[in-house]
Amino acid sequence: MSNRVYDLKNLPPEIADIPESRFREVPKADHVMDAEFETVARGFFKDAMFRLSRNKAAVVAFVILIALIFMAIVGPSMSPYSFNQQFTEYTFMPPRVQGLEKIGILDGSYTLKNRALDSLGDSSKYPNDCIISYSNERSVRGTTLVDVKVNYYKYVGCEDKYFWLGTDELGRDQWARLWRGTRVSLIIAFAAVLSDVVIGVVYGAIAGYYGGRLDLIMMRICDIINAFPNVVICTIFILVFGSGMRAMILALIVRGWIPTARMIRSQFLRFRGREYVMAAQTMGVPNRALIFRHILPNSIGPIITRTMIAIPDAIFMESFMAYIGLGLAPPEPSIGTLLSRGQRVLMQYPHLTLFPALTISVLMIAFNLFGNGLRDALDPTQRGLD
Amino acid sequence: MGKYVLKRVGLMVLSLFIIISVAFFALRLIPGGPYDDDPDLAPEAQAALIARMNLDKPLPVQYVLFIKGILMENNWGASLKLRPGISAFDIIKERVPATMLLNIMSLLISLPLGILAGTLAALYKSKWPDALISVLVILCISVPSFIFATLLQYFPAYRWELFPLLFNATGNTAARLKSMILPVMALSFGPIATVCRYLRGELIETLSSEYMLLARTKGLKRAQAIARHAFRNSCVPLANIIIPMFTNIMGGSLVVETLFSVPGIGTLIVDSINTRDYTVTMAALLFYSFISVMTILIVDLSYGLIDPRIRLGAKGNE
Repeated sequence: MSNRVYDLKNLPPEIADIPESRFREVPKADHVMDAEFETVARGFFKDAMFRLSRNKAAVVAFVILIALIFMAIVGPSMSPYSFNQQFTEYTFMPPRVQGLEKIGILDGSYTLKNRALDSLGDSSKYPNDCIISYSNERSVRGTTLVDVKVNYYKYVGCEDKYFWLGTDELGRDQWARLWRGTRVSLIIAFAAVLSDVVIGVVYGAIAGYYGGRLDLIMMRICDIINAFPNVVICTIFILVFGSGMRAMILALIVRGWIPTARMIRSQFLRFRGREYVMAAQTMGVPNRALIFRHILPNSIGPIITRTMIAIPDAIFMESFMAYIGLGLAPPEPSIGTLLSRGQRVLMQYPHLTLFPALTISVLMIAFNLFGNGLRDALDPTQRGLD
Repeated sequence: MGKYVLKRVGLMVLSLFIIISVAFFALRLIPGGPYDDDPDLAPEAQAALIARMNLDKPLPVQYVLFIKGILMENNWGASLKLRPGISAFDIIKERVPATMLLNIMSLLISLPLGILAGTLAALYKSKWPDALISVLVILCISVPSFIFATLLQYFPAYRWELFPLLFNATGNTAARLKSMILPVMALSFGPIATVCRYLRGELIETLSSEYMLLARTKGLKRAQAIARHAFRNSCVPLANIIIPMFTNIMGGSLVVETLFSVPGIGTLIVDSINTRDYTVTMAALLFYSFISVMTILIVDLSYGLIDPRIRLGAKGNE
């Protein structure tokens, strides 16, 4: 084989005039030496989904999240009572559920403390055979006192009613309020985080893409805003704009977009100088298309991860504000307001705190687990670091 | 380095100035005057009080006076309702020790426990101690500190009567310490988990590094190599998360203090919000902002000291 280079336009005669009979078809090889793909090619998302579905904790968390979101949507209408319907004569009812009451849990029983033993037979005090049992018999100054366990629904005379999770201090159905509150908390969190992502992506993209002095100024602004403590911003916002959902969402956005913006900026710094971006630029692709079509899709994984991690933070912040007295204005419930109201009567009526506390804990754990799973699935290099 | 420090300090001063300005205008924007709902106050007295607080002057003048008061005379405004007339600065000053004590104790407890758990998890990576610890970590990071506080208050304190229900501010030292156990515990679960998770990641990375192999090759036992090389190197980066963690604990302590009635800044903020004593609220928030800005500054500067590659402008480059 010679390595001579021929000029195609005027080939030497010994090459240009080869008769056709001297050409020979190369027989197809019996087997191709290249290994053939035996599996179907998988795209980025298919691959990520596959990894996610292998992560048991993340799948369980996902199922729980879907269940909680489902309950937040339909839960309030499952109860016959609305979240704002007050039964002023049936306040602080204990939980009672059909079916479950027969096996002794959530059966509407409540222990009345320090009752005189003699009065137990008095049907004007304890109507409808409501007494289940009494315990802790003791003598105080000549009277025998006991703790009486009663069926509270018979005791107050509403045996036909079932408040699944009991009622609060105004006799409102806790079941309806809990799921309505979950819905409100989720709406606040989702709205705040989605706005964060949109603002953060645009801001970070501009800073990272154009770079230079603009980037410097934009990042200094981020630094300044980032120094405001979240508690301070939320408190000021709610003091000034009143305690509505909108004020809460706005307050959460003030600082919330900064981590996204920083992350997007660093992604842009990484991809800005890549050859494919330069090629697109050379071919006259406008800036906007370069930013959103060519560079941004690289960051879709981190964006999704960041969103999932920000949601529990927003839910936490909302409850936190409710605890320091800046929750949503009544009658609208949120998990935070339910908790802070339940806290006031924790010793007497723990069930009012128990169910919201369980809900927020499960919600936070599920979001965190699912967020971790998503991060591992979208960016396998990060796996196992924590 | 000098220029870097100056830049960082300048930025933080600017942040603080913006927070103070926002706080000032927010105070004026809050609907209703400070004495609107006070029927006992004669109109003349009201006018006199308002004049004393400069509320009758035009807004820009008020603003200048407000800034001047804070900078020159340490005058953060006087309390309106909680303890009328007393300087907000003085009220805050007497609340600081309780909050600081709570937070520092929580930090002192979380660090060794977090380091212990993190080391265990890293050494037994992918075995049952690691699995158990990672479940606990997720639990402690996810569940908010006020839920822990509620749980602790209900079971150990109320049902089992092991601890006092509320903070004991007047009793002797032993009683006071005993009443601090629950709030400190409630505050510590999160930080323990944070330290543990961070240290585990660092340690796992270090354990697989080449100098660990070298340490083993030159004849150190595994325990020796871990104690002398891996552990030390993994603990240095912990400095980066301890200071921000302190701000986080402070945030959580706002609620935990209220639940256990600890007479600290948190209770003060909640009380002042509920009584609409806005000057105290703002002063407390400014105090809180000051601490938080200082923390960020310390973190930024120590980053620069620990790793000179991280300097202003270079942050975020990967």
